[in-house]
Amino acid sequence: MLEQQLLNALTLGSVYALFALGFTLVFGVLAVINLSHGAVFMVGSYAALIVVTRFDAPLWLGMLAAMAVSGTIGLLVDLLILKPLRARNAPHLIPMIATIGVTIVLTNAAQGLFGVEVQRFPDEILPAWDFNIGDVHVRALELGIVAISFLLMAALFAALRRTQLGRALRAIAESPKAAALLGINVEGLFHLTSFVAAALGGVAGVLIGLDFNAITPFMGQPILHKGIAVIILGGMGDIRGALIGGLFLGFAEVFAKGYISSQMGDAVAFGLLFLILLVRPSGLFGRVLERKA
Amino acid sequence: MRVSKIAVFAAALASASAFAADVKIGVAEALTGGAAQYGVAIRNGFQLAADELNAKGGVNGNKIQLLIEDEQGKKEEAINVFKKLIFQDKVLMIFGPTLSNSMFAAGPVANAAKTVAFGTSNTANGITDIGPYIFRDSVMESDVLPVTVASAVKHYGIKKVAVIYGNDDAFTKSGYDVFKNVLEKQKIPVTTTETYVKGDVDFKAQLTKIKAGNPDAVVCSCLAEEAANIMLQARGLGMKQPFIGGNGFNSPKLFEVSKLAGEGTFVGSPWANTNPAPANVHFVSAYKQKYGADPNQFSAQAYDAMYIVADALKNVKLSGNVEADRQALREALPKVSINGATGPFRFRPAAGKDGKPAGFDADQKPFIYIIQGGKFTLYAGK
Amino acid sequence: MMDFEAFWATYNSLIYTVGIHMLLALSIWLTLACGLLSLANAAFMGIGAYTAALLTLNLGWPFPVVLAAGALAPAAVALLIGVPTLRLSGVYLAMATLAFGEVSRVTILNLDITGGPEGLNGIPLLTEWWHIALILLVVGYGLARLRRSRTGRAFEAIKEDEVAARLMGINVDRHKLVAFTLGAVIAGLAGALNAHYTFFISPREYGFENAVDILTMTVLGGISTLVGPVLGAAILTLLPELLRFLHDYRLAVNGVILVLVVLFLPTGLWDSRRIRAWFKRRDGA
Repeated sequence: MLEQQLLNALTLGSVYALFALGFTLVFGVLAVINLSHGAVFMVGSYAALIVVTRFDAPLWLGMLAAMAVSGTIGLLVDLLILKPLRARNAPHLIPMIATIGVTIVLTNAAQGLFGVEVQRFPDEILPAWDFNIGDVHVRALELGIVAISFLLMAALFAALRRTQLGRALRAIAESPKAAALLGINVEGLFHLTSFVAAALGGVAGVLIGLDFNAITPFMGQPILHKGIAVIILGGMGDIRGALIGGLFLGFAEVFAKGYISSQMGDAVAFGLLFLILLVRPSGLFGRVLERKA
Repeated sequence: MRVSKIAVFAAALASASAFAADVKIGVAEALTGGAAQYGVAIRNGFQLAADELNAKGGVNGNKIQLLIEDEQGKKEEAINVFKKLIFQDKVLMIFGPTLSNSMFAAGPVANAAKTVAFGTSNTANGITDIGPYIFRDSVMESDVLPVTVASAVKHYGIKKVAVIYGNDDAFTKSGYDVFKNVLEKQKIPVTTTETYVKGDVDFKAQLTKIKAGNPDAVVCSCLAEEAANIMLQARGLGMKQPFIGGNGFNSPKLFEVSKLAGEGTFVGSPWANTNPAPANVHFVSAYKQKYGADPNQFSAQAYDAMYIVADALKNVKLSGNVEADRQALREALPKVSINGATGPFRFRPAAGKDGKPAGFDADQKPFIYIIQGGKFTLYAGK
Repeated sequence: MMDFEAFWATYNSLIYTVGIHMLLALSIWLTLACGLLSLANAAFMGIGAYTAALLTLNLGWPFPVVLAAGALAPAAVALLIGVPTLRLSGVYLAMATLAFGEVSRVTILNLDITGGPEGLNGIPLLTEWWHIALILLVVGYGLARLRRSRTGRAFEAIKEDEVAARLMGINVDRHKLVAFTLGAVIAGLAGALNAHYTFFISPREYGFENAVDILTMTVLGGISTLVGPVLGAAILTLLPELLRFLHDYRLAVNGVILVLVVLFLPTGLWDSRRIRAWFKRRDGA
């Protein structure tokens, strides 16, 4: 049973990490808690679903569509809402509330367009490869999610560390004003980050939609809550933190359910979050991001 | 005071002149939000029955007019909608609301206004304890599950079971409470009891634990969507045990997702789509024709409810005074007995809490199904 | 035309709800006025509602005592968790209070005495319109007095610059705790009143969405005066009823309005300075 629970925890943790990647990226660069990330994730799922079911397209096309649609929404949110708020120097609570408004609009629009019925990807879109190693049951899709989470994390991390662009982004994360003085196109990079983060959210939407076997207008909300816990556990804005925090939460939940009581599952996530904030006000692995807008 | 009396009198006159044409019946169901997947099916059932009745000239020459309002599955909205229907639209009675929670909030409003509130999808215990104006034709889990469990135990020779249920949902939790009771009464040991919450889609941690206890069957108080994913993941983990389910399993959704993972599952239901009774055969084909989709249990119970009320109305002489008419309908309803899409139906007075007057529950026997070849197959009829 | 009796019979609970939402908006205004973004007020409302409903159902205490208990129970919890959490700043405080809210919800869900997910039903109708009106008036008056008091000015100073306030000799921690706890009292009262006219309460009414709804009302109205939260609560409660004709899309309109207000009226609908300037312009013309 232990081996199976370890694998269960690894896949659940990777799901959380995958969702949290885009979420934490926006925070790291824009210093905004973008609560519309859950809705953008949901929209990505539907975009792929429609491309796949209405146009009989293969899954990779659906994935591209999800990235394009989600990314565009992220970009629009930045251009139409976050940018004017930045220009006005609004306190950081304000953009967060604006993104709540975006969530309401997207969720309700999805409800109107697609209905509240649960939908799912057709079976034949992805062959159900699974196999057993000893007593442990393994699904290929889950291994894929684990691999993609690690790969995306590594790629993003490398991009931030090794490229000119990444250095610019890190300069912005320290201080947008100083970055602007250094001749960095701060606004342009804000737009790019918003697009990339939302596109990542869209990818997560497709993969998790496949894994969970259920797409609904409300699917973004529960995972958004977990995402918040993950990025705080991992340290806000930290790419590695998203993975560490996601895995930490996944293991904590699975082992609480498996060895304490399944009623504790949800209490564990938020109880941990609460306690950790009390002990380490900046999260388990993070440092306090002090930045004046 | 005098002014308002005159106004009431005028209103009575106005409705007196209108009553010959229309019987106004309120429908308060969740048409948006998460509960809409039930609410919409329910509304369709009412509409189908009302259209059929009106096509035949209505009841005693009076056409039935449905006033449909969205209560969103929220308690405050349910109260607002009930008040609007009762005090502003002056309906004769109200069908709904969709969720038991909403009935607990809005039912007392109707009861205080001496207006019948007729639930077609509220299965929670205590609904009809609200008062003597509360009716339902939805069958309680406590009438279904003992039969389901006993049938499965006999069929498979079950010695011990594991239980899994959703613990943040009133419907799945109350189903679990009944299961727990039934298992105790039938002296079947439980290896482990596991829970999940709404929105959970990964049940492997719980299932891994269930598998370790090696039960003969898994008892599952879950909604169809979750049940299907639980079955799939259980098979994925190499578990071969059959499932025993509650009312939540009664949905075509179960097979859309689970495919053949649910083979051998036992389910009890107040309605069988394959029930060959003429009323049901007619209902299934008429529903398909009108809405282009298969009906479910919720639309069947709504459809029957409309006919139950129509049957009561045949014996009610409408006076045009809405209060007197509401009372007359209340007195006529308990005597109704029909053969509907869900089979023979009559009411049974609810026991009530602390001797207070209570409403009426459905007195119906369930159908027991076993799932074979990805289909509900009748195991034992009524 | 409807006469008043029929109108009242139809819309009284909607009007009660407007009053309850006004109380909730004021409860979070108090913490915001001290520069704290707390998402715990929905949980405080729930603690108040459950305490009050359980006392009525099981012990049959008189309503005023029940209301008092409904206000004091969340206050006690607020004092308890306030001491460690209020050290956190900005979004970290928001997240810690969010976590507290979720833990409270899960706790209520798993207790037997609270009825778990099935909630508590059969709560008698005890709330009358004047209870809500009176409490609203008292709270409004109290907060107005508070704003002009020493404590109110200290709140203002902490909100503007915590470090400077500390240097000026203001006991920042204690003032924050006062704001947080008084907010819990008001939210608890709102919950207790609400439980006694809706006959039924369940854990899902006090979750994250509800915390966000409360926050939205206050921000929409504006936090520069007490009028703002009251106005925001009234608008966001009545708007969905007025928008019924939009059917499936009416909640989307709510979202759009929220975004537009944040974008174009950054200080909320009711900004005392803007209103004053507007009147001046009119007088001048």
